[in-house]
Amino acid sequence: MNQGGVEGGSYKPFTTSQIEMLHKASMKVFEEVGMEVHSQRALEIFFAAGAEVDFSTKRVRASEEWIMNLVKKAPSQVTLCGREEKNDLVLGGKRVYLGTGGTALNVLDIDTGIRRRTTLSDVRQTAKLVDALDNVHFFVLPVYPSELSKETVDINRFYAGISNTSKHVMGGVYSIEGVRKVIRMAEEIAGGKEALRKRPFISMITNIMSPLKMDGTYTDLMLEVIEAGIPLATPPAPIAGATSPVTLAGTLVQLNVEALSGLVLAQIVNPGTPVLYSVVPTTADMRTMGFLFGAVENGIMNAVCAQLAQYYDLPIYATAGVTESKLPDVQSGYEKMSTSMLAALAGANYIHDAVGLIESGLSVAYEQYVIDDEINGMVLRAVRGIEINEETLSLEVIKRVGPGGNYIADEQTYQYMRSEFFMPKVADRSPVTIWETNGAMDGREKARRIAKDILANHSPTPINQAIVELLKARNPELVTD
Amino acid sequence: MSNVLEELNQKVIEGKLEIVQELTRQAIAEGHDPEEIINQGLIMGMNVVGVRFKAGDMYVPEVLMCARAMSGGMEIVKPLLMGKEIVSAGKVLIGTVKGDLHDIGKNLVAMLLESVGFNVINLGTDITTEQFIQAIKEHKPDVLGLSALLTTTMLGMKDIIDQLVEEGMRDEIKVIIGGAPISQEFSDEIGADGFAPDGASATELCQKLLA
Repeated sequence: MNQGGVEGGSYKPFTTSQIEMLHKASMKVFEEVGMEVHSQRALEIFFAAGAEVDFSTKRVRASEEWIMNLVKKAPSQVTLCGREEKNDLVLGGKRVYLGTGGTALNVLDIDTGIRRRTTLSDVRQTAKLVDALDNVHFFVLPVYPSELSKETVDINRFYAGISNTSKHVMGGVYSIEGVRKVIRMAEEIAGGKEALRKRPFISMITNIMSPLKMDGTYTDLMLEVIEAGIPLATPPAPIAGATSPVTLAGTLVQLNVEALSGLVLAQIVNPGTPVLYSVVPTTADMRTMGFLFGAVENGIMNAVCAQLAQYYDLPIYATAGVTESKLPDVQSGYEKMSTSMLAALAGANYIHDAVGLIESGLSVAYEQYVIDDEINGMVLRAVRGIEINEETLSLEVIKRVGPGGNYIADEQTYQYMRSEFFMPKVADRSPVTIWETNGAMDGREKARRIAKDILANHSPTPINQAIVELLKARNPELVTD
Repeated sequence: MSNVLEELNQKVIEGKLEIVQELTRQAIAEGHDPEEIINQGLIMGMNVVGVRFKAGDMYVPEVLMCARAMSGGMEIVKPLLMGKEIVSAGKVLIGTVKGDLHDIGKNLVAMLLESVGFNVINLGTDITTEQFIQAIKEHKPDVLGLSALLTTTMLGMKDIIDQLVEEGMRDEIKVIIGGAPISQEFSDEIGADGFAPDGASATELCQKLLA
């Protein structure tokens, strides 16, 4: 069951007028500084649409009015589908979903715990795990298969994901030919070109560079996806103090410009195409200038970004639940919980990177997927809040039980005991003697056992075998097992 | 097994008191033997509940609902047993020791014991050594359950055990103790027969001691 889609929005770091201050400042940056665009095609597209373009310096500037007219064309709701309808995500408003992120290069081996390079098998295995975890709502392709070449990686990564989970699959892409092949493959699985546009169970990520740059290769990939009408995220990842101002407010101003740039380009080329307001606000450790993915400030900034997206009425692709820790431990627990909780309480829609990643996003760990599923469950419970009405105020029940009685066997307890509380699978809540009898395991070991059990026993809904044969015939480079 | 007994099983598992009572009456009307109704209809259902509870699939409030449904059926069949006793899992006398007013844990243990067929006499809270000894003489239980939440009151458990020894009653009864500060070490130290860390283990402990 898809447990996502709970309404957030109770955490608001900024007032509406402070959000407007951010907006106005971003518009000034668009007008006075602009974006540097390293794709000739994109420069021409911006120029033809009426932006102020300096071709010699590759600079694109625009007025608030021009920008906002294009922002209005972007859909305020985007449905990212699963191969099965029960896994659909209706992004927009303040609805919250959490899922994986990438792209990591290493994994802590599930048997040995030793850090090793990732392979295509890790894409399959993580997809299978995610398919079974209730509080993980989508699958962003999390790792890079080190054994594959850049030419064959796109189709193989997506196939490994799609064939092992019926949840939505999003991924970064590496070549234009790769993008085309992935879309063609998805069309075959969906039952045609239109069928895929109607129920897009894949989507893609192409990055924007901070500060204020659109890279040549990435922007051409972006245009390819935009023209194909496939849902798209265009995340910039500014690092406060390094690639954006050290002040969090300043980073948000710049990030907003960068995030809107991708969205605006998409709306010029293909008005109405499903694109997400995409953000990856990050920080650096000032002692070393080392990149930080799990800092609490990242969480606050994501919450503000959710407010900005709500202000523009756009669905948001946000980032939380990452850690600098090298293994699933205490640090990974509190860093992940703090940023995921903040982003979710603010009502961010598509919170990616929130499952499986460790080591600042450079590695994944199987048991971490299981632990993060539990963190997400707690986060979603907090987002849901407390239901208050005549019945839940329980006056009748309090009268019925009275002083000195107990509520254990009361009808109402029975009625609410499953819905009122989040029930963890990893956390150990038993008395110490029972914990000792069960092997005195810590959370990591317990999660590792759960992960192993899922990998051994879970069977995701497969792709129709006839289609698999067809895909193999058309794409000799496709690895299907 | 006949349909009505199977359905009785199912409804005990679902904790449906009224339906269980209705089905019990129907089973009687269909001419089923009272003992058959109890063993194959009511208790068998409750056994399933026990297994699911242990696996974590059923929660305490549910188990109590099921136990209540089962007892509802029992009350209807009992008069037909013509003096034959229903086999009880055993008799347990339970109470919170002197100076301690905490009783939710002890009550939970009492309810869970009842749900697996024990006959429980719950004395309540703030019970003195004399009151315990008096009640044991009167009810002749198989097991004495002592509860305490406070580290100050838990020491009173030893006084009760010592008194049992003094009166020459210690060998006739099993003494189990429980409560947040209690440990196996403490149990050994004061000469109790056992300790259980939670309600579910307490029922298992009683079954083990009386086996």
